[in-house]
Amino acid sequence: MITREDIQRSAYLARLGLREEEIEKTEKELENILGYIDRLQKVDTTNVPETSSPPAEASAFRSDEVIACPPEDRELILKNFPARQGDLLKVPAVFERPKK
Amino acid sequence: MNHLNELTLKEAREQLDRGDISSAELTEQCLGQITSLNTGLNAFLDVWVDDAREAAKRSDERRQADGPLHALDGIPLAIKDNMVIRGKRCTAGSRILENYIAVTNATVIDKLEQAGAVFLGKTNLDEFAMGSSTENSAYGPTRHPRDPERVPGGSSGGSAVAVATDMCMAALGSDTGGSIRQPAAFCGIVGFKPTYGRVSRSGLIAMASSFDQIGPFAKTVEDAAIMFDAIYGKDSKDQTTVDGGSFETRWMKDLKGIRVGLPKQAWGEGISKNVRESVEQSAKVLESLGAEITEVDLPYSEEALAVYYVVMPSEVSANLSRFDGMRYGAREHASTLLETYLETRGENLGPEPRRRILLGTYALSKGYYDAYYKKAKQVQTLIRNAYAGAFESVDVLLTPTTPSTAFKIGEKNNDPLSMYLEDLFTVSANVAGLPAISVPCGESIGLPVGMHLVGRAFDEATLLGVARAYEQAV
Repeated sequence: MITREDIQRSAYLARLGLREEEIEKTEKELENILGYIDRLQKVDTTNVPETSSPPAEASAFRSDEVIACPPEDRELILKNFPARQGDLLKVPAVFERPKK
Repeated sequence: MNHLNELTLKEAREQLDRGDISSAELTEQCLGQITSLNTGLNAFLDVWVDDAREAAKRSDERRQADGPLHALDGIPLAIKDNMVIRGKRCTAGSRILENYIAVTNATVIDKLEQAGAVFLGKTNLDEFAMGSSTENSAYGPTRHPRDPERVPGGSSGGSAVAVATDMCMAALGSDTGGSIRQPAAFCGIVGFKPTYGRVSRSGLIAMASSFDQIGPFAKTVEDAAIMFDAIYGKDSKDQTTVDGGSFETRWMKDLKGIRVGLPKQAWGEGISKNVRESVEQSAKVLESLGAEITEVDLPYSEEALAVYYVVMPSEVSANLSRFDGMRYGAREHASTLLETYLETRGENLGPEPRRRILLGTYALSKGYYDAYYKKAKQVQTLIRNAYAGAFESVDVLLTPTTPSTAFKIGEKNNDPLSMYLEDLFTVSANVAGLPAISVPCGESIGLPVGMHLVGRAFDEATLLGVARAYEQAV
């Protein structure tokens, strides 16, 4: 059922680095779990709607208001940056070969 | 006075109100208990001694000056480490958030703070609340208070142990497939999951957004009601919260007129002999109180676990994508952005989150979405309809909370599926969005057994009423 390629593709989509040794183990585990989930195929769901999320009574939209961020909270946010330059968040380049 | 930490929350509150004890004394004795036991049990990840003493002092001063703010004023509590408290570390039991400092309070934390509660610290959990044993924590397992070779259950194992060993007066946990109720059953305390939408999830690190619910661990049903009363309510920060009506306790002297249903799908095989006997005995107690016990048909309820293990990982795969090493949390250094993502997540997310992210990504991917996710959401509708149907003829449903008592650490590590089957009885309440509670109902070979009651949506009053009537009778 689930193949090595399926796992590698899913890992890439999820940006999840998998070690070589892991792939085989994961294949077996997921195969087992999917085998259990397979029981749902036997359930007749003709004309059955999917449960909508969130529940039907969920509230309406709130108004789009600007709420100022208190300086202490801002400081906490900045402190969590893994890499920082002043107040700016430093990240790896998105474009490795920028257009000229 | 000693052993104040062994009081129930209600008793402590009464003694505080009468001026017989102070929050400072109560808090100090909780802290003392933590010092004695936490090294061996690993219930708490972080303990805030100074902050707790400070909050207790403020509570006592407030009480002297203006009187208490609320029933929880001065009461020391423990919080599962997946709910954020501003300025404090929040790890979600993961390496990826090892040094993360929360920037805001969860709504439930704001509410408890406004009620004057004292926060002792954060408790251990399975990583990102994924697990049924607290073995999946990146910070070591939490151990069962009666037998350190056994698990306390999960994912809220730390909070369960903290309450069971009187390290705190009550605690908060979160429940997505049973993560409050199952550890409560294993540890012999009350664990309560409200109706989906009753309690705000704002500030709860999301696992499966359509199932997650915050709820209390407590020593008694009444204590659980006090906690629930403080935290429920529609919240503009959480669009899935609902005004389910005001919660008024419905304590009953007897259960005349109450109809208890035993779902025939649940009471088949797979329950260990001693758990079955304890819970069957509790049904007899309910009957002796005047309740009418009947067998009910809950068609499709036996599919709830499979539905859960498609829908939950799918939501997990979306919810955990924010842990990418960019704005917060661990970041591995690599030469490209792609490799930074792959290594950050690969190195810092544990095996269980990885497993579920992969499962969910696969189930949602092109070619598989209809067969897995869509199918599961359709079967979920059938399950919800079955419960709605059952509640036309009964007021609560009764099953065991777990198939067996607390298992040994490491026993289920080689077989993820056997771990997932631990949630067999609890998971359908999350799938159906209904309130559910585990109440201690006896012991088997020295280990606690829990009985599981499910109620109508937003009728926590009847559910807790039945639970309390049972508790008072035994």
